[in-house]
This record gives sequence, C-alpha cells and structure tokens, in this order.
Amino acid sequence: MTRHQLQILSLVLVGVVSFGLPLVLRSPTYLHILILLYLYAYLTSSWNLVGGFAGVLPLGHAAFVGIGAYTSTILSLQYGLSPWIGMIVGGILAVLVGILIGLPTFKMRGAYFALATIAFGEGIRVMVENIDYIGPLKLNGPRGLEIPPLKTGLTHFMFAGKEPYYYIILVMLILVITITYLISQSKLGYYLNAGGEEPEAAMALGVNVVRCKLIALAMSSFLTALAGTFWAQFTLFIHPKSVISLDMSFEIAFIALIGGRGSIAGPVLGALLLRPVSDFSRIYFGDKLPGLHLIIFGVVLILVMLYQPRGLQEPLTRAYNRLLDRLTGARAEQALGRSRA
Amino acid sequence: MIYLLEDTINGILMGSIYGLTALGLTIIFGVLKVINFAHGSLLMVGMYVAFWAATLSGMNPYVALIVVVPIMYAFGYLLQNTLIKPIFKAEKQVREPITVIIVTTGVWYILDNLCLLIFGPQYRALQNNPLRGKMLEIGGMMLSVPKLWGFVAAMITAGAVYWFFQKTRMGRAIRATSLDREAASLMGINQYKVYNMAFGIGTATAGIAGVALIPFFNVYPSVGVLFDMKGYIIVVLGGLGSIWGAMLGGIIIGLIESVCPQFMTATWTEAIVYALFLAVLFIKPSGLFGVKYDW
Repeated sequence: MTRHQLQILSLVLVGVVSFGLPLVLRSPTYLHILILLYLYAYLTSSWNLVGGFAGVLPLGHAAFVGIGAYTSTILSLQYGLSPWIGMIVGGILAVLVGILIGLPTFKMRGAYFALATIAFGEGIRVMVENIDYIGPLKLNGPRGLEIPPLKTGLTHFMFAGKEPYYYIILVMLILVITITYLISQSKLGYYLNAGGEEPEAAMALGVNVVRCKLIALAMSSFLTALAGTFWAQFTLFIHPKSVISLDMSFEIAFIALIGGRGSIAGPVLGALLLRPVSDFSRIYFGDKLPGLHLIIFGVVLILVMLYQPRGLQEPLTRAYNRLLDRLTGARAEQALGRSRA
Repeated sequence: MIYLLEDTINGILMGSIYGLTALGLTIIFGVLKVINFAHGSLLMVGMYVAFWAATLSGMNPYVALIVVVPIMYAFGYLLQNTLIKPIFKAEKQVREPITVIIVTTGVWYILDNLCLLIFGPQYRALQNNPLRGKMLEIGGMMLSVPKLWGFVAAMITAGAVYWFFQKTRMGRAIRATSLDREAASLMGINQYKVYNMAFGIGTATAGIAGVALIPFFNVYPSVGVLFDMKGYIIVVLGGLGSIWGAMLGGIIIGLIESVCPQFMTATWTEAIVYALFLAVLFIKPSGLFGVKYDW
C-alpha cells in the first residue's frame, strides 16, 4: 500500500466510525456530549477561517451564533418559516454585520482588534437583553425565546431523538472542514497566510490584505451563524446569556488555539481533546470541585502557548506522518527484499 | 437639580475608583505593549487579600494596604517572571505578542476558578467594617464616605505612579524601555527586570484598588470580570498607556453610569458604554491622551 492509499484508508476509517457511532452508542448522554463536541469543532473550524488563517484574534464570535439563533427562531416562531430558510437568512445577516464590523477593525493592531471584537460581542448581548421588540419582531429581552416542540420532522428541523441532530452536525462539520481545506489550497488561503504573518510585505506584493481578511470574516460569520440555528433547534431555548455569551466566544477561540490555529486538523483536535475534559469534569466533579474544568483549560492553554505555540496538532501530525512512514517504509523494504531474492 | 449634582459627584467618585482599577492595565500596556487579560483577576486577588487581611487581623481595611501592596507587587513580579518573560524571549522581534493575551487569559481562568474552589461562590462583605454605609451630608447631598476615600486613594496612587515614572531614575529606565526596548538594552537597562517591575507595579495598583473597593463592595470569585470589561473600555478611552487618561476615562464611565439612569432605563447605560467604546475605537483609536504610535 502506498502512502496515499494509507491516508485515504485512515480517512475512510474515521468516516465509518463517526457515521456508525450512533448505531453502537445508545446512551443519549454520550450522544449529547458528542453532538456538543462536533458543534464546538464546527464553531472553532469556522472561527479558524478568520482567527487562524487571517492571523487576527477575534473574541466576539458568539455574536454571530446569536444572530443565527435569533434570526431562525424569530422567523419560525412568528412567520412559520422553516428553520432551514431562517438558517440561510441568519447567515446572510451575520455576513452583513461581519463586514460592518470588519471594515473599521481590520485596520487595527492585534490588541485593539481583540478588544474591539469583545466590545462588539458584548454590545450585541447587552442590546438583545434590553430590547423586547424590534418593530414587529419579538426578541423578548433577557427572558429569551422558547421553541415549542410541536411539529417534528426534517422540514421543521426538530426531532424526538438525538440521532438526527448528530448526523446534521456531522455533515455540517465535514462541510466546514472541506471548505477550510479548499481555502487553504486556494490563492485566498495563501494571501491570507501572507497577510497574517507579514501584512506590510504582503501589501507591498500587491495583496489587498484587508479585502482578503474581509472575505475570510464574511465566510466565517456565515458558517458560525448556521451553528446558531443548529444550537437553537437542538436546545429549543435561547436567551442572550446562552447564545451570545463572552464565555462562548472565548471557548471557541481557545479550543482553536490549543488545537492549533491556521491548520485544518487543529480546531477539530482541540475540540476532541478539550470538550470531553470539560464535560466529564462537570459530570463527575461539578458538585465538589466547581470550575475544575476551567482550571484545566487555563493550565493547558498556558502550557501549550509556552511550549507548543503552534498548537497540539503539530506534534500529533508529526507522529502521524512518522507512523505512515514506518508503515509504508516497512512495506517498501519488504518489497525490496523480495525483488532481491 | 440637586439630584443631578449629587449623581455627578457620585459618578466622579465611583469613576475615579474605576480609573484606579484600570491603572495597572494602562501601566502594563504602556511598558510591555500587551493587554493583560488577567487584570480583573489580579484585582479580585487583591480584594481577597485585603478582605482576609482586614478580617483575620481585625484592622481597619485601609491599614491593610501595608500588607496588600507588597504581596501584590511580589505576585505580579513573579507572574511576569515565570509566565510572560519566556514569551518575550521567544518572540523577540514581535512588538505586540498576541500570545501574551492568550497566556494571561489562561491565568484569568486559573485564578478565578481557584478562588471559586478555595473560597466558594458566596459573596463576602467585610464584617468589622467601620465605614459600612457611612454617608456624608453636604448641602442636602448624600455622599458615600468609602467612595470618597476611594477617590483620594485613586488620586494619590495615580500621582505617585506618575511621579515615579517621571522623576525617579528607575521610572526613567522604565519609560525608556517602553519607547524602544532595543535602544534601552543598549544603554544597559535590563529589559526583563523592567518588565517584571512594571508588571509588579501594575498588580500593586490593582491591590490598592481592591483595598479601596472592599469597604463598600462584595468580594466573590468572578468580581474581576465586572471590572475587566470596564477596564478595557477605560484604558482605550483614555489612551492605552496614559495614567491620567485612565483616570479621566474612569470618571467618564462613572458619570455615564450614574447620570444616564436619570434619563433612561438603567440597563441601557451598559449599551451606551459599549457604543462609546466602539465609537472611540473607530474615530480615535489612540484615545484621549494616547500616543498615535501605539495603535
């Protein structure tokens, strides 16, 4: 088997396992944890488009989650539109807001950009908390919106079991990973990379850095808003503190940073490693040791930044490549030995 | 009319305390060129140290300063020396290492949740508090005495820090490093020691702010987050790195919070503060007193 075949084999293996998991895993609790894991992998991968490739540190992505969640929920509650349509509308709205916020902020330097995005995210939360109605649209302020589980089925984006949600978020995750891969291979990806590391040099070479970053932000905010709709339909209850919280913005960013920003595998890997830690420490130590998972989170964050600044994906990718080398190398030697004999 | 004046004065008093909480943030940014995301947590630690010092020894909360300031200075010095210095050494050519933001956020998570583990989530108010609820009546206006002392503490601290940076030899060395770290190193200034000291001073001012707050403010593990967000807004408003800018920024925020509820729902003031912050970022990112070079 060649190296390429092995890579495809491992991908197929991962695919089969992730699609077959609900058939084996019958516990709704574990399925719930897995769905949240995929959701965060999806969110961090979307964040990675701008936070990783464009080399800035946006810390207000929960605002886009909130825009997606609120748009689809309001449209389906008040106008009976399918959440799938609301999902797209929310995505488009998020793109508009994203461009509006990106235009002035991308001119700023690192620290200022982080602060501006925090203020933007928190500002949107405070607005939603204070507004009950925008014209005819009911936001219901800090009390949030409840989605009555009346009609189930694919068109209503509402299911009795957890399995459909699992498959939807899995497909969404595969989609965003594919998009990330395509972008990393495209001209835009190279421009972003250049603009993130050396903006002056990239501009001198004729790359419109701000425009590239805006495109990345637009895509990122669109994809993030889709996850908001999923979140709303999955939990059936949204309120400002749940979908537009600062904690969520930070968690999205830090999962990506620990996993490795600017890489395709990093965000998924980060979610894979950190979400179970936070879920299980909450399940087992939540009553006796509150906040333990955040301490672990902080320690891991500091250690990774000090010793592995490119994220955990780097050593793991190296190990994976070495494994592939060993497998193919061993076979090549075998083949060599046989031909000699 | 008298109410408006009362609110204005109370806003200035509370605002100066906000300025004091943000002072460390602006000092650390001014010298290290990084935003310390753990600053709110350092303030929280300062409040806990002051709280326990006053509670266990039974002394006046303001006397606790003699304990709080050295402890906080040492804490900040060590924190910078062990966690942040390696990043500066690894990323020598980067002027504003973004990694520091991330590491200090890790410190924030750890400190807040460690305090949650150790002290529990309950709100603690000072028991042997000679100043609790004390009011001063001037011409029909009621002014809070602990806030008045907070105002005095804020002004003295800002003045002392300003004097230290302007007039002393060490202060000049710190300012030289903040202007150009390579040139300062060539003049024989130990860059990392200066950073440690600046971080220590910034943390010590957070401790002073903690002392000023505990006579009228409850202590709980996530209290820092409340002042964190205000701190960022204040320092950007006043100009990152400017000491008097932070005080003025704090007073502006304090005024908005105390005067605006006279004209609108109180919860909207928070939205106004954020809008003002974004407006300053977009129109004049260097703030009221900031140096243009720094943004």
